[in-house]
This record gives sequence, C-alpha cells and structure tokens, in this order.
Amino acid sequence: MRRTYVYFISLLFLIISIPHQVNAQDTLLIPLKIKVGLEVTGPVIYMIEKNNLSVEGFISADLNEKAAVILGGGFLDYKYSQYNYEYLNKGIFMRAGMDFNLLKPEKSKGRYWAGVGLRYGLSRFSSEYPTFRTDSSSYWGTVSSSIAQKTDWAHFLEITPGVRTELFRNFTMGWTISLRMLLYTGTGKDMKPISIPGFGTGTKRVSGGISYFFVWNIPYKKIKVITKKEVPVVQEETKTTVGQQGAGIRQ
Amino acid sequence: MRKYIPRILHIIMSSLILGIVSCTPQSCFEDTTSFVNATFYKAGSNTATIADSITVFGIGKESYKLYNKALKVSVIQLPLDASSETCGFVMKINNLTDTLKLTYSSYPHLISKECGVAFFFTLESYSISGTAVDTILFRNKNITTFHEENIRIFY
Repeated sequence: MRRTYVYFISLLFLIISIPHQVNAQDTLLIPLKIKVGLEVTGPVIYMIEKNNLSVEGFISADLNEKAAVILGGGFLDYKYSQYNYEYLNKGIFMRAGMDFNLLKPEKSKGRYWAGVGLRYGLSRFSSEYPTFRTDSSSYWGTVSSSIAQKTDWAHFLEITPGVRTELFRNFTMGWTISLRMLLYTGTGKDMKPISIPGFGTGTKRVSGGISYFFVWNIPYKKIKVITKKEVPVVQEETKTTVGQQGAGIRQ
Repeated sequence: MRKYIPRILHIIMSSLILGIVSCTPQSCFEDTTSFVNATFYKAGSNTATIADSITVFGIGKESYKLYNKALKVSVIQLPLDASSETCGFVMKINNLTDTLKLTYSSYPHLISKECGVAFFFTLESYSISGTAVDTILFRNKNITTFHEENIRIFY
C-alpha cells in the first residue's frame, strides 16, 4: 500500500512538472533599417555610350527581420535608330511592393540579404517616330512617314530575386534580376512601345533585366528575434528530467 | 556570403541570366510587307481551284510583273501602295484579262524593334472589269503580314 502511495505521488509530481520542463529559447538582436538605394549601371552606361539615360532608385523600410516595404522610381530617356526608323521615348516610372529576405536571421544578421521582391509598376511615357520608311524592295516603292509624339501609361508586375551584402558599415551593394510581366499599355496592338520606362522592351509581354544597387542603410530600431524556439521536453523518468533541465539553461 | 544563399535561389538566378542573354535577337527575321492573299474559286460553287496560268502586274507597272505566266497557282499575293488609298492590278487568268481595283485605308504597325514599322491596311471596296472573274468575296479585310486569306476570286 505504501509503495502505491509513493508511486502515485511521484506520478503527480511528474505531471505537475511537465509544463515547466523546456529548453530555453535563443534570441538575436536584429536592426531594422530604412534603406535608400541607387541603381548604378544606368548612369555608368550613359557615361560610356552617351545615348540612353536610365536613372533608378528606391527607398524601403524593414517591417521585421524578413519583410520590407519598398517604393522605387526612376526616369528613362531612350533613343534608338536603325536603317529604316528612328524612335524616341522619355518617361518616368514608379514601383511599389515588398521585399522578402529568405535568409535566417542568424545568417543574415541584418547585414546580408538574399531573397525575392514583388512589385507593382506604373510607367508614364511619351514616344514618337520622327522618321520611318517601308522596305526598299517594296513593289510600289519606298514610303517615308513619321508618327507624332503620344503619351501613354503602362502597368506591370515584377518579381526580383537578388542578393545584397554589407560592404562597410551601413552600406550594402547587391544585384537583382528582374522578371516583369506587362499587364496593360494604352498604346494599342499596332504601335507597341519599343521601350517602356521601368519595364524594358515593350513589344513583348515579358521582359527581364539585371540591376546593381548601392544601398545606404539607416538603422531605426532593434528587434529581438527568436532564433531557437522553446522546445518542451518530455521526460520518461523524474531523474532524467532534472538532468535535462540543467542542460537547458543557457549561459 | 555564398554559403548563405539557398541553392535553389542560385539555380533560378543563373537560369534567368542565361535566359535573358540567350533570348536577345539582333536581326530582322520577320515579314515586313503586307499582302492581299487571294485564293481562286470556281464560279457558282464553293470549290477552291487552281489557275493553270496567271500573269499579274500593277497598273502602270507593266515592266514589273508580280506573276509572269505562273503555272498551277492557287494563291496570289498582291502588295498595296501605302502612299495611296487605291491601287489596281491587271490579272491575266488562263489568257483572259481582268482589272482589279482595291480601295483601302492604311495604318502603321510596329513589326518588331529589329524590323521597324510597316503599313497594314483595311480593305474597303473593290471593282472588277474583264471577262474571266465572276465575283470577288472579301474574307478578311485586315491586310497584315500574317498570311491570312483575304479575298476569294471566283472565275
């Protein structure tokens, strides 16, 4: 009978103590930042070729260690000519969306970013053909003409996987690949724009590109991120419970 | 840094770069001239037929024949004059001569960045005079570079 009481009391203690038997969690302080980025390839290409000027930048704010809201914009002055036509396009664009860091907080440490961005883009541009002419082998002879300037809007979606790494304190550099899908352009099906600011080649529904960004990071807040969650420990015996509890305490 | 990038992301990025680089065309490989595609039909029936011999040239362009005694022709392609709203063709089908005049409107169409701008047309009306052709039927009034059947010539 006494044995039964001892067994019952031991079991009672075990049941009461189970909710308190956990491994402690690991936490990490991650700085949340406001980021101001400038795309560098557009101005560099313009300095070399002196032809098409593309300027682009963004501002983003971290919501947490994984997600950030982003607003970007830019300007394009595009000129193209070949043997049978000239084309001019000038306009502005903006993109808004989210960036998601796929790295774990203990790997990114607020300094590295490897992830994907999703954006909605809006572009307003004016395009014209100062001259164009039909095929010189045409049966009725070559016809030369022009198309006057016209202003249009374009809407598109963008997905941008990429990487960024800290070069030195609060400055990061990285690249993103942009894959864009044109949703709408007001130009009609016959005179699709050769180039759309912020989108790229407007004659196709999908366009792609690579961008290199210098980013200035402004930390505005630090958050505590749990990198290892509390794990309840299921004990089989009271003796082993004591041992595991001791191992769970972090220095 | 490299070890932190998930492997799948690395593969996706590499594929995208290769795709973007490899899909950039540089030369024009598309048709840049619009034609009226005309097919031949037997008069009074809906049966396609073949002209044994055909000669076609534009009015005022007798020296530049589009078809010169071509044999066994089922489809002819007639180019329109983008500088005008009407143009005519002399057609000699199996040694019987007719004159076809087409009235149309034109509008510019961007073929591609590499090829530039071409004129597309919308057919409005026709007139035919001669002995071989019975009637003309408009099947598709949009004259483009897409090789669609536009008119049927019943003779």
